[in-house]
Amino acid sequence: MSRRRATTLLLLATVFAPCLAHAYAGPGAGFAVLSSFWAIFVAFLYSFYALVTWPFRQLFRLIRRRNAYGKAVFQRAVILGFDGMDPELAERFMSEGRLPNLSKLREKGTFSKLRTTFPAISPVAWSTFMTGVNPGKHNIYDFLARDTNNYLPFLSSAEIKGPKRHIKVGKYSIPFGKTEIKGMRKSTPFWHWLGKAGIFSSVIRVPVTFPPEKFDGVLLSGMCVPDLKGSQGTFCLCTTKASGDKFREGGVRVPIERKNGVYQSYVPGPDSPLAQKAGEELRLAYEIRPDKAAQNARITVGSEKFTLKVGEYSEWIPIEFKAGLGFNAHGICRFYLKEISPELEVYVTPVNIDPGHPDLPISHPVTYSIYLAKLNGAFATLGLAEDTWALNEHVLDDDAFLAQAYGNHEDREKMLFDALDKTRQGLCTCVFDTTDRVQHMFWRYLEADHPAAREVPQSQRKEVIQDLYQRMDNLIGRVMQKIDENTLLMVISDHGFKSFARCMNLNAWLHQNGYLALKAGKTESGDWFEDVDWSRTRAYTMGLNGLYLNIKGREKQGIVDPAEAVALKSEIKQKLTGLVDPTNGAVGVTGVFITGNVYRGPYTDNAPDLLVGYGAGYRASWDSVMGKVTALIFEDNVKAWSGDHCVDPRLVPGVLFSSHKFIEDTPAIVDVAPTILKLFGLALPSHFDGKPWDLAPQALSSKIPAATAAT
Amino acid sequence: MSPLLVVVALSVVVGFVMVVLFGYTSDQKAIARAKDELKAHLLAVRLYRDQLDVVMGSYGKVLRGTGRYLKLAFKPLLYVIIPITILIVQLDRSLGLKALAVDTPFLLTVRANSPDAMNNISIDLPSEIKADAPPVHVAAENEVVWRLLASKQGSYEVKILADGQSASKTVRISSALARLSPVRLRDHFWERMFLSGEPALPANAGIESISVDYPERNIALGIAGYEMNWIWLFFILSMIAGFVFKELLGIQI
Repeated sequence: MSRRRATTLLLLATVFAPCLAHAYAGPGAGFAVLSSFWAIFVAFLYSFYALVTWPFRQLFRLIRRRNAYGKAVFQRAVILGFDGMDPELAERFMSEGRLPNLSKLREKGTFSKLRTTFPAISPVAWSTFMTGVNPGKHNIYDFLARDTNNYLPFLSSAEIKGPKRHIKVGKYSIPFGKTEIKGMRKSTPFWHWLGKAGIFSSVIRVPVTFPPEKFDGVLLSGMCVPDLKGSQGTFCLCTTKASGDKFREGGVRVPIERKNGVYQSYVPGPDSPLAQKAGEELRLAYEIRPDKAAQNARITVGSEKFTLKVGEYSEWIPIEFKAGLGFNAHGICRFYLKEISPELEVYVTPVNIDPGHPDLPISHPVTYSIYLAKLNGAFATLGLAEDTWALNEHVLDDDAFLAQAYGNHEDREKMLFDALDKTRQGLCTCVFDTTDRVQHMFWRYLEADHPAAREVPQSQRKEVIQDLYQRMDNLIGRVMQKIDENTLLMVISDHGFKSFARCMNLNAWLHQNGYLALKAGKTESGDWFEDVDWSRTRAYTMGLNGLYLNIKGREKQGIVDPAEAVALKSEIKQKLTGLVDPTNGAVGVTGVFITGNVYRGPYTDNAPDLLVGYGAGYRASWDSVMGKVTALIFEDNVKAWSGDHCVDPRLVPGVLFSSHKFIEDTPAIVDVAPTILKLFGLALPSHFDGKPWDLAPQALSSKIPAATAAT
Repeated sequence: MSPLLVVVALSVVVGFVMVVLFGYTSDQKAIARAKDELKAHLLAVRLYRDQLDVVMGSYGKVLRGTGRYLKLAFKPLLYVIIPITILIVQLDRSLGLKALAVDTPFLLTVRANSPDAMNNISIDLPSEIKADAPPVHVAAENEVVWRLLASKQGSYEVKILADGQSASKTVRISSALARLSPVRLRDHFWERMFLSGEPALPANAGIESISVDYPERNIALGIAGYEMNWIWLFFILSMIAGFVFKELLGIQI
């Protein structure tokens, strides 16, 4: 008898021969049987409950609201948000025949520019999209807002406060109570109105939805979700290279040290919740064993071990920072082996909140992010998940950045298609950030003489943005295959894009024109107005487009009499509008807008006093955004971040594509919420600023155009 | 040694070894993935409870996912089953049965391979064991049954003579844990493997089997007089140990 046959017989005999032992074959079998039985049992219970209670719940809904879809024109609305998709580029690529699916939507339905918000910044525009109101009613004017007590910035969308009470025990300060997360965006997203009418929504990664709010549907928070450190994304470069340089923003440098023949480094984590002094950082040590011959390295992080080739990313690695006394923080990050020789360098993404084990709520209900993580694996949860800072700082190269961005994009696609499968009726909306981040970082290759790409020969420039638009078109094609004539498909963007070739330091202009004063002997100021003399300063700027007056009684060291504010605003507006860049004669500022004339609503007091609309090719300088005053007003932008939209909003409308034709000459992003409510047959709240669009008569009977397979 | 302690110690060791063995022989990533998908479909039932088609679809996916999970667990289970089955068989000889007690009657049954052989069977007892009653012939089964009584602890060989050939059977008289073989068989390879702890009977002995009715053992738990079959206790304790070790070692089961 051959050995194989004998083994088979022995196995069969072991399994089937009558004996006492076949009743139980160890913990493995026990667990397998118990787990699978448990899964089936729980699923059965859930399903049974859902099945038995479904008629009653439907009846209840019917009594309460009558038929939720009774007046709906469509059974389902699918809104794809392509952050930053530009109508001019879309039109150009469509005319070149590169975007067949968008072209079909244009033919059968709608293609139009979509007026954006003032300013044309994502958190502002998407807040308007979801609430149907102008920023004066939703309170989001920029990523940052300023504290009038100290002129320092804070995140405009959410405020996170640790527990108030602490008890000191030895070296620990033990927190009691919950972390408080307060959403700063006001007004009600339109999916809440849908939910109240019994219409279910799946909302994925729409910006400024952190912290998530309760409503009838599922939601995964998007832009403005912090990383585990509480920042908007802090990457880490672990390196053997000695350097005293600090990254301008967005990253830290961590040494790799060799101990006992093994390279060791660490991932910086959040501050310890038990530390008596603030700023005591938790760290997670890890080991690197490089193999120069094989050009790879074996990395050990906690119980996770993996090998990376040079230029390769790991999967999302779960990590745990232990503070002691059972206080742990759970995160995920990816490792990228940047270089192995002569220096050893490992890039680590910002530590994202673990969606499968969220320490902060990032979805509604909380189980939704867990569900998505279990279904498709871990995914980026950070609001600004694509690490643009790392590319700006040359920590990542173009390919590494794109690999990261498209990795996130693929995860998002999986979420979208799952939501489409699960949301057969109601609203399904998903925002893709890739369009924004890739255009920001690769606009330099669209222009022959962009300062950020002068060194790169034309032959080495990849057609990254063209490829991006084609990918998005391909996605639309696949979505179109999933929908029928009872579904409205809308593709929108919050703004378009323009080149960012020249920086303008508005604080420098204010300084040189006598509106901002520096301390005696200073000709420049450090970050956040370090050397500004507030007692002689009448105006200042921070953030991307806002300009503030230093008003007495509002700002702590204000000097401008409120009665003089109107005149001062007009004066600055007049002087700034049409400002010419002396280097090339181009107009750097095409419009200045007094916010009192632009915004209406209860939160207008929190708005900047003026909005500066930069001309095409211009944007607030990196220094100006951070409250720095430099000697030069205009300078070249040589960073990879080479395209932008924080310009005059009239220059950067977004796009509107739809599967059914709307009759509207000048649609705006503020109109989307009322349009959706109207299409579902709901009354519009009186505070809405947007106006619903009408469907063309033929739209109601039209069919979805067949999707074109991706090429 | 106390049988309870033996079972506890064995359960911990087996729990550890089996979890490690399972970890090495299974596709850990695939098992983790399958379990995650199962959990996802369970959560979907909860998240989309008002959408009956989604609920039913998810339930179907739970069933399919369970099948996939069991399929993934099957290969490592095969590796685990062989050693643990052999181990349990061996342990059952010590923990599943009690050795015979002094001055307590027990039965010794000899099954012959033919009625003629049955009529010619006789027994040769050691001096410490005596027949307590005349043998009983069960013609329908070709069996002869003796009721015996031991006067002293020890391991004894009882000789059976049939058609001029002889065979023996070990009989253990003891109050301690002892490795017992309840039956000695001729041929029946698999049955011998799982039930007997003695060599096969000679082919020409005319005897099919010789068995001794050792009493079953229950393990005293020391809690309100509860007793339990050792396999159940082993099942529960090794599961607990396995659960602890799987968590500590990060092994997916």
